[in-house]
Amino acid sequence: MTATLGYPQLRNVGTASKRLTAGLPPITVILSFAVVLLVILWSLVPWLFTSYSPVTGDTASKLAAPSAQHWFGTDYLGRDQFARVVYGTASSVTSALVAVLIGLVIGSLIGLASGFRGGWLDSVLGRFVDVLLAIPGFLLAVVIVSSLGFQTINAAIATGVSAVAVFARLMRAEVMRVRSATYVEASYLEGGNRLHALLGHILPNAYRSVLVLAVLQFGTSILIIASLAFLGYGDPPPASDWGLLVASGKTYVTAPWLVYAPALVIVGTVLSVNRISRWLRKAK
Amino acid sequence: MTSDYKRFALTRAGQAVVVVLLAYVLTFLVISVLPGDAITNTLRDPQHGLSEEDIQRIVAFYGLDQPVIVQLLLSLGRFLTGELGFSLQSNLPVSRIVGDALPSTLTLATSALVIAVVFAVVIAYGAQYLPGKWAAIVRSIPSFFLSVPNFVIGLVLIEFFAFRLHSFTTTDPNSPVATLFAAITLAIPVSAPLAEVLIASLDHESRQEYALVARSRGLTEATLFAKHLVKPSALPSVAMVALIVGELLGGSVITETIFGRDGIGTVVQKAVTGEDQPVLQAVVSLSAVVFVAVNLVADLASPLLDPRVKLREKVAA
Amino acid sequence: MILKTKDTNVSADLLTVRGLSIAYGSTAVVHDVSFSLAKGGSLALIGESGSGKSTIAKAILRLLPHGEATATGRVELNGSDVLALPEKQFRPLRGRELGFIPQDPASALNPVRTIGAQAHEAAALLGETDPAVRRAKILEVLDQVGLPDPARVYDSYPHQLSGGMLQRVLIALTVLPQPSLIVADEPTSALDVTVQKLILDMLSDLRRELDISLLLITHDLAIAAERADSLVVLKDGAVQESGASRDVFASPRTEYARSLQADVPALHPDRYRRKRTLLTQANDGGFRTDTAPSPTAQLQIDVRGVTKSFPAGGKDVLACDGVTFSVERGRTHALVGESGSGKTTAVRLLLGLEQPDGGDITVAGQSTSGRSRADVREIRRHLQLVYQNPFTSLDPTWRVGRIVREPLDQFGVGTKAERTHRVSEALEAVGLPSDVASRRPAHLSGGQRQRVAIARALVVRPDVVVLDEPTSALDVSVQAGILELLTTLQHELGLTYLFVSHDLALVRQVADTVSVLRRGQVVEDGPVEEIFHRPRHPYTRALLGAIPLAAVSTEEQTALKQPAKATA
Repeated sequence: MTATLGYPQLRNVGTASKRLTAGLPPITVILSFAVVLLVILWSLVPWLFTSYSPVTGDTASKLAAPSAQHWFGTDYLGRDQFARVVYGTASSVTSALVAVLIGLVIGSLIGLASGFRGGWLDSVLGRFVDVLLAIPGFLLAVVIVSSLGFQTINAAIATGVSAVAVFARLMRAEVMRVRSATYVEASYLEGGNRLHALLGHILPNAYRSVLVLAVLQFGTSILIIASLAFLGYGDPPPASDWGLLVASGKTYVTAPWLVYAPALVIVGTVLSVNRISRWLRKAK
Repeated sequence: MTSDYKRFALTRAGQAVVVVLLAYVLTFLVISVLPGDAITNTLRDPQHGLSEEDIQRIVAFYGLDQPVIVQLLLSLGRFLTGELGFSLQSNLPVSRIVGDALPSTLTLATSALVIAVVFAVVIAYGAQYLPGKWAAIVRSIPSFFLSVPNFVIGLVLIEFFAFRLHSFTTTDPNSPVATLFAAITLAIPVSAPLAEVLIASLDHESRQEYALVARSRGLTEATLFAKHLVKPSALPSVAMVALIVGELLGGSVITETIFGRDGIGTVVQKAVTGEDQPVLQAVVSLSAVVFVAVNLVADLASPLLDPRVKLREKVAA
Repeated sequence: MILKTKDTNVSADLLTVRGLSIAYGSTAVVHDVSFSLAKGGSLALIGESGSGKSTIAKAILRLLPHGEATATGRVELNGSDVLALPEKQFRPLRGRELGFIPQDPASALNPVRTIGAQAHEAAALLGETDPAVRRAKILEVLDQVGLPDPARVYDSYPHQLSGGMLQRVLIALTVLPQPSLIVADEPTSALDVTVQKLILDMLSDLRRELDISLLLITHDLAIAAERADSLVVLKDGAVQESGASRDVFASPRTEYARSLQADVPALHPDRYRRKRTLLTQANDGGFRTDTAPSPTAQLQIDVRGVTKSFPAGGKDVLACDGVTFSVERGRTHALVGESGSGKTTAVRLLLGLEQPDGGDITVAGQSTSGRSRADVREIRRHLQLVYQNPFTSLDPTWRVGRIVREPLDQFGVGTKAERTHRVSEALEAVGLPSDVASRRPAHLSGGQRQRVAIARALVVRPDVVVLDEPTSALDVSVQAGILELLTTLQHELGLTYLFVSHDLALVRQVADTVSVLRRGQVVEDGPVEEIFHRPRHPYTRALLGAIPLAAVSTEEQTALKQPAKATA
């Protein structure tokens, strides 16, 4: 134990308040929020964004290039590709939300119990988490989907299960970090019990990192679900999950927009989500 | 070898074995949750052309008419002796199917790993030593890599290099150039977390007091990097590499499908669509074994690389 | 020998800084600083945090993060401006002409390389290419700095050596290439006080032998006055006062320098005596001529023969070995010791944060051993703790009002309205404005946070407050304010204090009785005046001797101190 604290530690007192009163977030973050908002709206009220149907099309205008009437062109059945993308958002994005929720809730509970209780509970839960980590995430998702049936919702559950381990690890690390903080010990001296320490101090200090991870995992889940759909493990046609759109579009080499349009939408969405996650991490 | 280290090594090895066994059990339970008589459906599918006799033999072999627990124990017992069973689709021994597919995947995975490490190191070095604006751009590369699904990367690379530039053809997936591009596809998303860890480590180490003191002795940035920053930064990266093995195995499913390669990934694809449980069980369990083994090696190596690593868990005061 | 800082002969000065200004982006942190250091002399830059002293030191060595900081002005080494030199021409000077000793030895060496491997970097500056010769020179200099087994140190990793040994290694490596100037950035503030003295003595010896000039950066006025020929006092990046140490010290001209001098505990041992005397009167209902404990006074705390050991690295380390001390009601007792003395463990045992292996602890007549959880909780209510570090003892996600209210909430005291009232009372008592209750700790300074911690400790109206180095994490000017506050509160509320510290000079100001601890044992105890004027144990004497300015003759000390107050 050193006799005095190093001086560099005392320096940053004023800067915290500066950061908190800083103005608007950077432009890329605002754009990212706009994109995510748009995507969420697509999934909730797709009919507001397009008047075309995603399932029926006019075969006379099949495989048409992007134009003013068909922003993303048409596919081999003459269906408007933009409408297909918009209507496919619901399952692509909502399923990602489901996946994150599963991972977040179950993983956090495990991490909380592990980190707070320690002892044999930690060892047992630790092994369980190790097992989930040992099986490659994508493979585990594939196996679970193949057991439950080829539907996007099952893909979501599968993705969620493979995310549990990541959340559990982080929550455990955060809980253990905060648990040994001085202010937690102080709360015991002030008459607090363990439950109070957990709910009043540990959780409020631990949840921030977990939240950042949740946003990041949202993006990752979109990718995994799109990949599963690409392989054909999601809802079958005429569903228009983004991954499935890419898969069915790739055989039409003369109509590259069938691949690029959904691909760009995927990349754009995940890029925005990642940007938001990075911003949250810095603003902690 | 000190006795502390021996004890540490044994504990870790023991834990590794437990994890592998549990992984096997978990996979089995998940796979066998198949509703109803799906197995029998697969078996009886006329496409697979199995005779009634064959079917009965398979049923007996796997104990398919017995409760799940018995099936599990049978299966686990066999796994431990290296017996992986037979494919339901083709009746070939699973070990042979896996063995045939393994070289292709190994080539792919190892090349991808090497490429990923190279990418990560280049990105991390650039993030540290390029002038301001460029460094900021380089720093956002990993995030970008993580935003693109690997099937898109694969398709774009094929579109561009195979169809436009004719650097390789998709009809010969095992040619060196085709393998290279497949490896790049697999490497890109995998390099991102590696790069991020390296960047964070280098940032952290570069701000340490000892870096300042070393600079005060007249060291150039290059010497500082090589002599002081690389080793402590490499340690968290080694741990990350072990974790990445899982991503490589998972990503190979899509990459091999897109590039038409005949590896483990394709085996998995076929097994899923054909509901071929023994194959799935074997592949997933073997992946877990590989992952656990690699991580065990990394764990055992870390005290040797970093003299500060404590071999014993501190007793909570 | 006093060296004049007026540069009548510019070429005699080794280092001349003229009009140095440094800015981070658009924020200026150093304004127009000038000073000069003669060859073979020593100069101290004194300042608190934010004064810019470290920044100036780094600017001289050109180790400021490039791209973030801009420096203007002149820094002349032997007459030629080095600030304007291109990096390539300046780099050879680092290490060879300009050496650097950092503050924290534990983090100043690469943890994954051996000492020897890193020493070769310093040895390379000698121009010697033969590794065997280099190794010999390294071992030679390690011996010169007083390390007992140079060969073993050569092969060790940093984490295997103590803080004092590491600092010796760093000094050795800095001195090896025989630079003309060494810049030492708080070289001893991370070390124990007895080690501090040894290191500074060794540094002085080396300087004399090798004719090296010293630029010393410190926050400690006493150390600066003792070890440097001339001083420059800095505040918020600007020079307040400068001159020969003795002059500045004996008669500071500026307000700021005067307040710094007034805050040095060693110089003003009787600062709080008046208040404490009043307190003694209040408690005893009569006049007292000394501060020796009276046998009829009630013992608030009685710790007897307490032992505690912890497992560490396979063995059991005895943190407390038969520790015994007692505190009278309404008095202040101090536990003094360096790191590893067991003082923190003793306090944690008292508070119930650890369980003793043996011995007895009695609080207000009630023993704490073998009690039920509920009983221990009741006892704790009357025993509160103020932690050393106000930056980690307050939950950053809570608002101040809630932080101070927490003990009331947890112990279930009063109604909601009553609690809010008590919180405002407490905040007022510690001198904080009432609007502080809605703010978060991140918006407060170190001193303010510590006041919040004190308010939190007082809000349940405890009988005893344990103060664990309550000011060592704070600037010296803030320190005085906190101690002033604590003394006032003790007087007003009739509190009993248990004051833990490593700083004997500080203890002398605030305590009535003292226990000196070393390696888990109480080596001496008694009234404060006894300990200071008639120390019996050699360790106590060593601690007293290590207080800076102890070597200054008593006449000079008397001249510097305020006239002694008559005891009531």
